[in-house]
Amino acid sequence: MSLMKYLALDKVANFFNIIRLNGGIRGSLYKLYRQDEIKDGVLIGEDKFGNKYYENPRYFYGRNRWVEYADQYYLNYDASQVPAEWYGWLHYKTDLPPHQDPSRPKYKWMAEFTENLSGTTGQYTPYSTTRPKIEPWVPKKAGQ
Amino acid sequence: MLRQPLTRALALSSPTRVAPVVPAARRFAEQVSVQPEKVEVFIDDKPVYVLPGTTVLQAAAQVGVEIPRFCYHERLAVAGNCRMCLVEVEKSPKPVAACAMPVMKGMRVKTNSDLTRKAREGVMEFLLVNHPLDCPICDQGGECDLQDQSMAFGSDRSRFTDIHFSGKRAVEDKDVGPLIKTIMTRCIHCTRCIRFASEVAGVDDFGTTGRGTDMQVGTYVEKMFLSELSGNIIDLCPVGALTSKPYSFAARPWETRRIDSVDVLDPLGSNIVVATRTNEVLRILPRTNEEINEEWLSDKSRFACDGLKRQRLVTPMLKDSRGNLTPVEWEDAIVAAARALRDCPPDKILAVAGDLADAEALIALKDFVNRLGSENTYTEQYFPTGGSGTDLRSSYLLNTKIANVEDADFVLLIGTNVRFEAPLLNARIRKAFIHNETDVALIGPKVDLTYEYTYVGDSASLVKDLAAGTSSNEVLKRLESAKRPVVILGADQLKTEEGAALLAYTQELALRLQDNLQDKEWKVLNVLQRTASQVAALDIGYKQGVGEALAAGPRVVYLLGADGGVVTREALPKDTVVIYQGHHGDAGASIADVVLPGAAYTEKRATYVNAEGRAQQTLPAVTPPGLARDDWKIIRALSEVSGAGLPYDNLDEIRERLSQVSPALVAYGDVQANNYFAQARALAKSLQKPVSGKLDVQLKQLEDYFMTDAISRASPTMAKCVQAVLKQKTSPY
Amino acid sequence: MLVLKALGASAPNTVLSFMKKGAFAVAPAVDQIRHTHLPAPSPTEKRPYSPFQDASNMAEYAVARLDDLLNWGRKGSMWPMTFGLACCAVEMMHFAAPRYDMDRYGVVFRASPRQSDVMIVAGTLTNKMAPALRKVYDQMPDPRWVISMGSCANGGGYYHYSYSVVRGCDRIVPVDIYVPGCPPTAEALLYGVLQLQKKVKRMKTTQIWYRK
Repeated sequence: MSLMKYLALDKVANFFNIIRLNGGIRGSLYKLYRQDEIKDGVLIGEDKFGNKYYENPRYFYGRNRWVEYADQYYLNYDASQVPAEWYGWLHYKTDLPPHQDPSRPKYKWMAEFTENLSGTTGQYTPYSTTRPKIEPWVPKKAGQ
Repeated sequence: MLRQPLTRALALSSPTRVAPVVPAARRFAEQVSVQPEKVEVFIDDKPVYVLPGTTVLQAAAQVGVEIPRFCYHERLAVAGNCRMCLVEVEKSPKPVAACAMPVMKGMRVKTNSDLTRKAREGVMEFLLVNHPLDCPICDQGGECDLQDQSMAFGSDRSRFTDIHFSGKRAVEDKDVGPLIKTIMTRCIHCTRCIRFASEVAGVDDFGTTGRGTDMQVGTYVEKMFLSELSGNIIDLCPVGALTSKPYSFAARPWETRRIDSVDVLDPLGSNIVVATRTNEVLRILPRTNEEINEEWLSDKSRFACDGLKRQRLVTPMLKDSRGNLTPVEWEDAIVAAARALRDCPPDKILAVAGDLADAEALIALKDFVNRLGSENTYTEQYFPTGGSGTDLRSSYLLNTKIANVEDADFVLLIGTNVRFEAPLLNARIRKAFIHNETDVALIGPKVDLTYEYTYVGDSASLVKDLAAGTSSNEVLKRLESAKRPVVILGADQLKTEEGAALLAYTQELALRLQDNLQDKEWKVLNVLQRTASQVAALDIGYKQGVGEALAAGPRVVYLLGADGGVVTREALPKDTVVIYQGHHGDAGASIADVVLPGAAYTEKRATYVNAEGRAQQTLPAVTPPGLARDDWKIIRALSEVSGAGLPYDNLDEIRERLSQVSPALVAYGDVQANNYFAQARALAKSLQKPVSGKLDVQLKQLEDYFMTDAISRASPTMAKCVQAVLKQKTSPY
Repeated sequence: MLVLKALGASAPNTVLSFMKKGAFAVAPAVDQIRHTHLPAPSPTEKRPYSPFQDASNMAEYAVARLDDLLNWGRKGSMWPMTFGLACCAVEMMHFAAPRYDMDRYGVVFRASPRQSDVMIVAGTLTNKMAPALRKVYDQMPDPRWVISMGSCANGGGYYHYSYSVVRGCDRIVPVDIYVPGCPPTAEALLYGVLQLQKKVKRMKTTQIWYRK
């Protein structure tokens, strides 16, 4: 155990390291405003939307992998903006991030990932599969 | 023939016999027979004064004691074969059947004594020997007399152990048509259906065969029970032997919500109860109204309700560039309709009201069209314009009133097949024919009215001769000697060219007879309209018969539920815009450029005026489907957009407007007495031209009856009925 | 006729005002979405804080910012009325406990409907409980929201065919957020609360007042 640790000075070092990694005092304050938390970590990867995935084993399990949402989301980030390929890594289903995993299947029929669109015009609207009680009149087509 | 001896007929028609009638309805009956003295009887030691000839059961009903019964029905002849109504009478050695026992002076009846209870339990035990215990799968469950009465009056066990070895009696089911489902094993032989068929419906098809355990109710031979009143035996059946086929296994009575309403499929405006569940009309039942339908209902009114679920207009539609009707938003449809109306010269606007339009929509449309500067509001049905035209209400109503027809002693039908145009009016005439010795004569095509009548001929000149008093026909003598004659003219005749003259002659005839009557209250002249909307439309001031207006080449035609096929594309100029507002996709919608979906009669609170001139209102039982809206609201919205806003925003205000036009339109349930007959007669004199044609009616056969309007044409059940009638024609029986 | 035409010229405005008055308020779901929902976002475009970006003049801009402020306050302190009815309530408690720690979103359970903004219907709503639920909902002050938590509250769930269960609490109260699951995890409920915050963020209180 080093002297630094013994005197708990490593915490101070970490603090300055975190500030430095998050872009100085201004950058850190901005990140605090945006995501309420600043951490230091290794950038594991970035997905196609621009979300960045970090890991730092110094934090305890459950908090040692995290995502910083892409800048264009600003304050409107949402857990559903993490695409499916990163979901597994973020939730400890696998330790291999998508770009390092050779066994990920890729099929033509796989749909494009979308975030949760509830509350927008793109939302899923349920529909009934039962026969309607009222049969509407269908007008004849012209020329028939 | 079922016609009964005079003594019996008098007994049946005495006012107490038809127990709880509204006194006003049968005012005339009381004048016929002199009131005999009342006798005192004691029901459970409570004294009650009743007329002699009253049965014990009716006397008990007067003091509020209900005696259980299966076979007895107050509107049918007494059979006395179920024995459920046995009661103990003091000094009588055996219990007596209360339904058939006339009261005697000082009679002491015990309806709750040990003997009575024992008798009931015994009868119930016998009835249940052969009645299957299939209540959980029986459609009558929940509204079954046997179920209720075995709970109330039955024993908790049976002593018949024999059926454990021999089993219960089983009877093969009969096929009696597409409306009635039979499970004959459940039958308890009350014979109500048989009596109804022969007395009220006038179809002597039903009867019993065999005796004892082998007794069966049936049609003797493989035959369907086809009548326009057949559905009523479903209500009459106290058990689940006769149930409704379209409604089978649909719902239990306690699940349904019942809304009182009014039928609009025939001109009588029968009172109905609409049973709904989860916003769906499941069935329609009659509601007792002594002045209109008693407790019967015609088959079309009862079973056409499944037409309300087919062929509906659920969204506004507009014709696109290719000429196809495509669904659009309300906004687009209304703006398109308003633009068409606005850009059209006022005298080229034509509004046509159809069969099922309610008074609110009619007045809204008329006011709207008037505000646009046009006077062209027409009904599809014709009515002569000459003479008093529609100014005097008496010349287009059933002035005698439906209930009073029972008291008539001579009925002359001119060019009408009452049986299919107004089945319940025909049932009244038949009732009068059977019980009151009323005679009927008919001018017009020979049709089956279910009773005998004097056939006069089908030439229109006969009416003229009768009116002039120059006819040598025996009917004239009968008419002139009659104390309470009734003349009924069918509205079908008015659309011919001679209609005006025919109406004038009928008025002349009827009013001449009326003037000579001793009873000054009695009205002779009747015009039987064909549709539920016509009277209201004429009251509001619609013009009648759209023929001339069509010939003038309108630019915009507004059809308010006009599906009668009177307005056709061929009759209109090419660039005419047709706006259709209604609830069914039928003749009107298929020629329309703009379709505005309205509400059917079960979906709105609306006023309808029946052929007597009685205003009644329907209540919303379900919501209109999809985007459909109340009819008057659509017109109100359209008027706003067209820049001719109507001055009423809610139902109360529009009814206020109705009452301004005619107070009779909002006097719900009442008929206002009509006068000014003499004036109408004087005005009609000018129209008395020679007539030479023959009278013809539209509905001659039973198969014509079932599909007459947009709702019944959309109904699969009605289509099945027509098929069944046609199939029956090919059968050897 | 000229007068008619002149009147008619203002027709479209009249139509709109008429439509707004609610004569035809009940439109099918799809149309309602078109009118009340935001356009679907593209993943690449920038998303500003406020959902109200279409102000055409200064006044509209001002009321839009006022709404933003109001909504920020509302979404930052949503106090739920606990309506724990069954097993879902246990997950709801987990949401309150330190691991998920709902306090950090300003979500604090209140025991009184008078002080709460949100009702979390957590569990099977029985016919017997339904009047009580409605009464409690009626006691909440406006604006109020309802989160339906779990299959049973959403649509009867496992007990859909039971004689004694309401087939979805939306038959009793208007539901804003449905959280699926049987029971939903505490995370799912957390996500539901965040979704509700998103919904609150696009409320147009003052803007509607201004438009009138």
